[in-house]
Amino acid sequence: MKTTWRDGDRLRSVELSPQGGGRFRVSVDGVERDLRAESLEDGRLRLTGPGGDVVAEVTAAGSRWFVRLGSEEYVLDREARVSSRAAATAGLEAPMNGVVTRVLVEPDDEVKRGQPLVALEAMKMEHVIRAPRDGRVRAVHAAPGAMVQGGTALLELHPETAA
Amino acid sequence: MFSKVLIANRGEIACRIAATLHELGVRSVAIYSEADRGALHTRVCDEAQLVGPAEAALSYLNVDAIVAAAKERGADAVHPGFGFLAENAGFAAAVEAAGLVFIGPTPEQIRSMGDKRAARALAARAGVPVVPGAEGEDAAALARAAKRIGYPVMVKAALGGGGKGMRAVASEPELLEAIESAQRLARSAFGDASVYLEKRLERARHVEVQVLGDGRGEALHLFERECSLQRRHQKVLEEAPSATLSAATREAMTAAAVTLARAVRYRGAGTVEMLLGADGSFHFLEMNTRLQVEHPVTEFITGIDLVRAQLHVAATGTLPFTQAQVRRHGHAIEARIYAEDAARGFLPQAGTALRVRWPHGPFTRVDRGIEAGDEVTVHYDPMLAKVIAYGSDRAAALARLAGALDSMRIHGVVTNQAFLRALVRAPDVAAARFDTEWIEREFLAAFEERMREPAPELALAAAAIAEAAGEGRVRGRPARGAAPGAPGAVASDPFATLGPWRHPGLGPA
Repeated sequence: MKTTWRDGDRLRSVELSPQGGGRFRVSVDGVERDLRAESLEDGRLRLTGPGGDVVAEVTAAGSRWFVRLGSEEYVLDREARVSSRAAATAGLEAPMNGVVTRVLVEPDDEVKRGQPLVALEAMKMEHVIRAPRDGRVRAVHAAPGAMVQGGTALLELHPETAA
Repeated sequence: MFSKVLIANRGEIACRIAATLHELGVRSVAIYSEADRGALHTRVCDEAQLVGPAEAALSYLNVDAIVAAAKERGADAVHPGFGFLAENAGFAAAVEAAGLVFIGPTPEQIRSMGDKRAARALAARAGVPVVPGAEGEDAAALARAAKRIGYPVMVKAALGGGGKGMRAVASEPELLEAIESAQRLARSAFGDASVYLEKRLERARHVEVQVLGDGRGEALHLFERECSLQRRHQKVLEEAPSATLSAATREAMTAAAVTLARAVRYRGAGTVEMLLGADGSFHFLEMNTRLQVEHPVTEFITGIDLVRAQLHVAATGTLPFTQAQVRRHGHAIEARIYAEDAARGFLPQAGTALRVRWPHGPFTRVDRGIEAGDEVTVHYDPMLAKVIAYGSDRAAALARLAGALDSMRIHGVVTNQAFLRALVRAPDVAAARFDTEWIEREFLAAFEERMREPAPELALAAAAIAEAAGEGRVRGRPARGAAPGAPGAVASDPFATLGPWRHPGLGPA
């Protein structure tokens, strides 16, 4: 079974082959290893590999997974399929629920990476959505004063074209 | 002493105030909005009353509804906490007009210190040095003043404070946009668009003095706190005492703060915030007429419960102890736990705190507003809790805080835990070599670079295996602690509140 996970800016793939008895062959980004997994209480998993064992604490919140290893916490987002619309709106979603205060671009504007596009106010703070890359605005879905939900695409850039 | 006190607040500070009331045998009344139904602060208070919808303006800022709740519940006093109405003179006046005691300064004191321009004038009159600045409505006049004072300058909301509604401006071309943006935020956050300018003191440290006044001209101090570790003017780590203050400077700063408190016949607990230059000179920044978020570090080093002291002053009009009785010992450091994603520009986060394990251990205090199963909403400030560690010296306190932050687990909502863990281990923090801009200037870029490192393969393997095995989900709605109104109710063991979930074998189905 192959799954894709967003780890910060990266997409990472995991391929899992159950071997029976709680044993798995796991391939992460093409690197394979064999692990035995034992389910403990409170979302904890004991993972045993050739080098010893470690307890991971795992909690799923919707598509977002929290993983604790030792004292380190990792947040991974389980990706569904990546569509062309997702590519056009990547990085242009409202980061959280808020109110649109300013829309600084229009369709067909050429924008430079880092250029402010839309400003949101939430929790008494202003957040500016900036262009994640150079490109041309394909559509604007935000209007000043509008309440938006976190994750809503605020605008679209034309997909990157090969030079 | 009072018999019943209404706490006009939510989250960790409401819980913290309730703890002292409970200890004193005073009944506590929580208020809550529709978004906070069943929230921890309603569970730890003896009673709880709904005051309005989620929107703060209609609930936690709703003066009429809160005063009516206090009357209806038979409270004889109101504690405002911090934030919300804590520094709203109209609220203090409305509480007093209803025949109840406001646990805090007089409306007049709140008003004059709340207008940062008036506060500067009061401080100057009391002989406390102020930062050079200018005020006025006209942006062009402010620009001329900025040129005279010299860049960089700070643009601040007149009714702001606590770092809210303020912005640094490096040069003239940025000024007009900064003024406009500050005015817009000031209007929406404080209901008044007035702003003022101050010279930006570079490489300054933030040191503040805790004062307590009886309202009749007597006042004392409880030493200082240093809160120089800030990000975007928001305090991140706070400690007491300051690691770098000389005895002479400490003496001068605490004396200046007491002079100011006496001059205005200050009533209750307050904090005189100052900027400390590298040369030991200090300037008045503002006076906060409330309990501070970081008050626990003062409580640790003095052994004094500041909420109890506030209640004493409010109930009796006298100070509960003398200056000579205020001693300090050891060192305490506080870290603020925010629901914000440090890996993505510190964006505030919302969601359900599905699994929560707070630090515990000797000399470690956690002032918390949530337990497992509680919602973190987008409606209010994203601060979830404060972790405070005490040690016989600064190094011991810092090591203890680092251990406490390591052991904390909050799953379901992203927090700033990784940021805090990295911060307490930074060599400059251990050496107390920092100023109010150190985090942004010297720490943040390297931290953000580290946050961009890929997660280890094992983390991905763990997530994928847990998903395949049907693990990781907290099934059903996690049970919250006791129902609102249960006397002395304290949230129960989070391990016991998670509710049932599947516990399958890990083999192939």
